[in-house]
Amino acid sequence: MKLLEYKAQELFDLYNIPTNKGIVVDKLDDLKTTGKEFSFPVVVKAQVLVGGRGKAGGIKFAENKEELENIVSQMLGSTLKGLPVKKVLVTRKITAEKEWYLSITLDRKIKAPLLMFSSQGGMDIEEVAKETPEKIVRVPVEPLEGIRDHMAWYILDKTGIDSSFLTPLFKLSENLYRFFREYDCLLAEINPLMVTADGQLLAVDAKVDIDDSSLFRHPDMVKFRDELTEDPLVIEARKYNFLYIPIDTEGRVGVISNGSGMLMSTIDLFSQKGVKAACALDLGGGATYDRIAKAIEIVFSNPQVEAVLINIFGGITRCDEVARGVELARREATLDKFLVVRMEGTNREIGVEIVRNITPPVPLAESVQEGVEIVSEWLKERNR
Amino acid sequence: MSILVDENTRLLVQGITGREGTFHTQQMLEYGTNIVAGVTPGKGGGEVEGVPVFNTVRQAVEERGANATVIFVPPRLNVSAVYEAMYAGIPLIITIAEGVPVHDMLGAYHLSQKKKCRIIGPNSFGVISPGKSKAGFMSHKIFSPGKVGILSRSATNCYETVFLMTREGIGQSTVVGVGGDMIPGSTFVDLLPLFQEDPETEAIVLIGEIGGNDEEIAAKYIKNNITKPVVAFIAGKNAPREKSMGHAGAIVSAGGEGSAQNKEEVLQEAGAYIAESTAHIVEIVKTILQ
Repeated sequence: MKLLEYKAQELFDLYNIPTNKGIVVDKLDDLKTTGKEFSFPVVVKAQVLVGGRGKAGGIKFAENKEELENIVSQMLGSTLKGLPVKKVLVTRKITAEKEWYLSITLDRKIKAPLLMFSSQGGMDIEEVAKETPEKIVRVPVEPLEGIRDHMAWYILDKTGIDSSFLTPLFKLSENLYRFFREYDCLLAEINPLMVTADGQLLAVDAKVDIDDSSLFRHPDMVKFRDELTEDPLVIEARKYNFLYIPIDTEGRVGVISNGSGMLMSTIDLFSQKGVKAACALDLGGGATYDRIAKAIEIVFSNPQVEAVLINIFGGITRCDEVARGVELARREATLDKFLVVRMEGTNREIGVEIVRNITPPVPLAESVQEGVEIVSEWLKERNR
Repeated sequence: MSILVDENTRLLVQGITGREGTFHTQQMLEYGTNIVAGVTPGKGGGEVEGVPVFNTVRQAVEERGANATVIFVPPRLNVSAVYEAMYAGIPLIITIAEGVPVHDMLGAYHLSQKKKCRIIGPNSFGVISPGKSKAGFMSHKIFSPGKVGILSRSATNCYETVFLMTREGIGQSTVVGVGGDMIPGSTFVDLLPLFQEDPETEAIVLIGEIGGNDEEIAAKYIKNNITKPVVAFIAGKNAPREKSMGHAGAIVSAGGEGSAQNKEEVLQEAGAYIAESTAHIVEIVKTILQ
């Protein structure tokens, strides 16, 4: 789960990571009611989870009250790279001496946290990595040990930064690591990390990604999650413990399966036929017929979806439940959407019998390949 | 022969009194697995399906000589159970829960390296050596004894492959679910040497997917150390970037790290056969074994 900047800032505050505090505004009136006198110039930052926010027009500067109101009213309700801007953050504009980069990621290659620093802050780190990889210092962190001061020394030595920054950089890294651990982060990134004229370090932007599996430990974050997810079908699916994944805005097929791996391989088979998937839904294990009907309903309610393939390899998921779910969904759903079922495994024979008796008929595929074939052919026919 | 589990495995079931634990204990016993003990703290002294239940793993090891454990404990408490097994000196720890916090697993992984024990999972269906023993929740009817060793990050893609193999009369030596999480206890490279050494295994199937670089590391190892034929399949070629595809570990970064294309390239370069689908895996294996 990724956090919006302002939320990440709030958490940084708890860990003594200095941020450029501001106010969060979700309607123009908020500017007046805060009673706060802004000291201009200020920065207005769209609170949207997109990369390259500045370039896309999501960061603007205002010299006075009028400009500020103009920018805020324009930004709120607009979209940035397709995502609606519901909130903006207004902060004072800082003049930086330098812009650095500091982050901790959970690195899968080394199976450990990785502390990363660059004196080339303020730009996309993947770009820095591509163009000037020597400007990035990487320090693996022993999970059972944590951050030590020699790591800060190493960074200063590598970058030639003045040794007066040793303690500030060490303290900041230590605090960021403590946050990273306690909030189960996959990523905690400060970019840019500004060095002000008086030598203070300031986290001017914050990117945080929290491990979804740890959310039971962070109930304060859970309520915040739905606010972030823009697709209402994702939220609807989550209520039933399904994972709904929007795939391609040009796709016309929905795929439902009882496991992540098979979901991916089914989408791949469609691609081999030149058919794009609009969305996918993972049922997880052991879904009952009413939940399966609900899953079909959710995928059908994506207006892009014209046809759905249900591909089940039943272990804990029983084919008879799947069949009953299909029967129920078919009865209630609009008939202009096409539905094909492929199922294998537990109670297959009972399931097949049920599916054969559904009216209007639901094609039953003998294999995944055949299911993909039937759906692809149907789409071709329809477009003829 | 086979790897990890066989008729000499003395299996412990942690979380044996839970709904899943009890159900799968009965299933594993039915398959012929030698389950010597169960553990649920506070339920010691009882029995499940005739298996004695202890309060602690240490007791189960001392009194019943358990040498492997399968953990049916929910994600929140899962890693505590893994730690208990490690401290009791169990060399093989199979843990199946999906949704274990990755930071929990991080600590457990590093301790397992120090203690020289092998963790399989989490988010895994377990391990099965068909006809001998199973430690996990896989539906065993589709498996059959034979010469193909399988390592898979996905349960469903693995079942599909095994189902098709068995239908074609191709059996399996051992099938291991390495699991779909970001930090698995064991990855392909940790298990490949076992299949290389196992005289019963004649071909190795590797079912990978997008995310991480375990396939890349495996490719390097295959190139230099594996003489048996390897068939690899990578799921998720058409998954959008920066979106987890269900498995916590199945995610391609914004910069394209962890893509299926790269994995296929390096595996092919290492001499592995690349399969386009689960059905294609079976076709290739069939040709190899002929």
